Amino acid sequence: MNLIRLIREAQPEVDLKKTYDAIVVGSGAAGGMAAHVLTSHGMKVLMLEAGKKLDIDKELKSTEWPYDHKRRGEMPPDSHALSLNEYNIRQPPYAADSKAKHVYSYVQGWGGSDYSKNIVVDEKDHPYTGTNYAWVRARLLGGKTNIWGRLALRLSDLDFKAKSHDGYGEDWPISYKDIAPYYDKVDLYLGISGVKENLPHLPDSIFQRPIKLAAAEYKLRQSLKKMNRVLTPYRAGVTTDGLKHNKYRSRCFGRGACNRRAGGCDIHAAFDSPTGLILPAMDTGNLTLRTNAIAREVTVDKKTGKASGVAFIDAETGKTYEVKAKVVVVAASTLESARLLLLSKSNAHPNGIGNSSNHVGHNFCEHVMGPHINALVKDQAGKPRTLDDGKPGSFYLARFRNLTERHPNFIRGYGFEGSSGNSIYPGNASSTPGFGASYKKNVRDYAGAFISMGGFGEVLARYENFVDLDPSVKDVWGIPSLRFHYKFGDNEKKMVEDMADTAREMFSEAGFEILDVSRRMLTEGWSIHELGTSRMGTDPKTSVLNQFQQSHDVKNLFVVDGSSHVSASCQNPTWTIMALAWRSCDHLADELKKGNL
Amino acid sequence: MPNETSDDLTRRDIIKLGASAAIAVGVSGWDASLFAQSNTPLFFTKEEFALVDELTDLIIPTDDHSPGAKAALVASYIDFRLSESFEDQPRTLWREGLKLIEQISREMHGKAFLESSTEQRIALLTRISANEPHPSAPEELFFKELKSRTARAYYTSKIGIHSEMEYKGNVSLKEFVGFDAA
Repeated sequence: MNLIRLIREAQPEVDLKKTYDAIVVGSGAAGGMAAHVLTSHGMKVLMLEAGKKLDIDKELKSTEWPYDHKRRGEMPPDSHALSLNEYNIRQPPYAADSKAKHVYSYVQGWGGSDYSKNIVVDEKDHPYTGTNYAWVRARLLGGKTNIWGRLALRLSDLDFKAKSHDGYGEDWPISYKDIAPYYDKVDLYLGISGVKENLPHLPDSIFQRPIKLAAAEYKLRQSLKKMNRVLTPYRAGVTTDGLKHNKYRSRCFGRGACNRRAGGCDIHAAFDSPTGLILPAMDTGNLTLRTNAIAREVTVDKKTGKASGVAFIDAETGKTYEVKAKVVVVAASTLESARLLLLSKSNAHPNGIGNSSNHVGHNFCEHVMGPHINALVKDQAGKPRTLDDGKPGSFYLARFRNLTERHPNFIRGYGFEGSSGNSIYPGNASSTPGFGASYKKNVRDYAGAFISMGGFGEVLARYENFVDLDPSVKDVWGIPSLRFHYKFGDNEKKMVEDMADTAREMFSEAGFEILDVSRRMLTEGWSIHELGTSRMGTDPKTSVLNQFQQSHDVKNLFVVDGSSHVSASCQNPTWTIMALAWRSCDHLADELKKGNL
Repeated sequence: MPNETSDDLTRRDIIKLGASAAIAVGVSGWDASLFAQSNTPLFFTKEEFALVDELTDLIIPTDDHSPGAKAALVASYIDFRLSESFEDQPRTLWREGLKLIEQISREMHGKAFLESSTEQRIALLTRISANEPHPSAPEELFFKELKSRTARAYYTSKIGIHSEMEYKGNVSLKEFVGFDAA
């Protein structure tokens, strides 16, 4: 299917004279969900996306063989992807003194970089400053959902009521029972595959057919049962049984192209915002889409102090436009949303709109990554080839720390993502020693006999971890850049130590031959799970939004993305972002009807 | 202008490649530009190219399972990537590295690498790969680079993916393979 053609056909003209019911800024998981929910309530919605409409299927080409690509998937030589080392030894803006024509974030995988280079931003056009941070941004219709990792997990009351559990930070203004019906709606509308485990701290979804485990993964699962720990097939935001209500998406056919790109699925079995949410919203006739529209400011009605609309810059012409709406819904991603609020200064809101608390940009949190283990599973050596990367994910190992017992060194927890088996490129080609016929045979015999996993841990939300606007550095459109003031703390360092230790313990217990355990922390930002710059709360002095992601200060302003999260949990955030946005937009539509906004 | 030596080389490779590719998945769809690339090296001299071709094939030789690096045109791919490299550093590394190989070959066996016997060639590679996990000498660093580029080019080639690794993916399946977790 040609996505761009579908979008063009469905797209009404943008009318700048009209007052829309709502403007949604951003088209990723949160913006797409806002558009879906608001248009289904009959509201006339304008969606502004800063990036372009890209024919994603032509970009990803996920079934192209490496040898059919001139550079086997690598980028042209004048383009450069930042390495881990560069993020650590230099200071942002990382592209400032690069001789390369284009500089991109690290996100592209082995040999897949040419397929995703147009999806992530060119760092040369999008500088940021301050402390080290690997900030991955995707400016295009659908945002990062075009290349997301697809792990779709629920949070539980252990997360929502974390302060009540261990005394740190703040509780969320909602409980699991408030969001559970919306998790269900997201499961059913978008599709998720997995296996029920009945874990109170990792609630089950309404699952479609699960992804099966590879042999070594199954062995680890069985071994972990003795330790009372749970390894479950990847809970993937992927429809494995199909979705009768969505004509833009196919069910997963397990082709085996999933793991050799930065992500992306050209049959759209994996959720992405354009096919999952935006195209169906356009079919209602209530959604107008404007791409290349960089929101510069949320405008304010001088009399009421309320939001009056959005001023945006056309990314191609540089011209500024203003468009009006009854409600403004910000969903530009955690960091870009904070930037937009801070940019929206007026007499009524001198620190930026919605920022009377001075908390916008603060309590910034995410997931810490780094500890990684790799092992040999000897009994898998020399086995006939299996197709193990023909699935959208492999396994997830659920949190087991600080559930009931209290760890002496750190609070909160972590989970692991991992995989085993054959992939298109034998990863052991570089680690296998020697050369010649024996080298070749060893690579061949052992290629499918490795298992590895890496941890994702909760980074505590701290007021002193924040972003603000750089006083002098601007992007190519003249918009002030973000400046980072963000460092991992002692809790994260101790948690990371424990991750490496438990990874070793679990792999030894399963009888794997451990080859290496990395204890090194990756640069801040590596998880691409940034959260919490406009947190929800009940107290307007210490939070930005109420439980419906509505600004305490400006009642017709909502921020429905990861900004609103009070704590990071250790579970991946996308499913929670969408469940919360659905809940808030239901509330928004209701309040608008009642005349309360 | 056509060059006899590299023409011969190319023709040999075409024959080998044609045979192996036919076994693997049939010859259709092969990227013809790869043949064009091997006609005349883009970066290497003819002599350097012949040396690289041999070195890569010593690292990944033909065996009873599948053809090796020569048949997979590994040297051509390395040559192409070096020719367009944005930085000079990798080109210098290769040019100097190949000189070192010749120098060591003369030290060890009193003759050029391509004039030495297979046993002598293997002895040389054994020497420069002895410290593989922690390379420090220039020839050891060059071995690391040589092997890394060889593996990359080979295992992304048609022969590497289909004949050698028998990759099962990139096809639609009715059911995912693996073990049920239940």
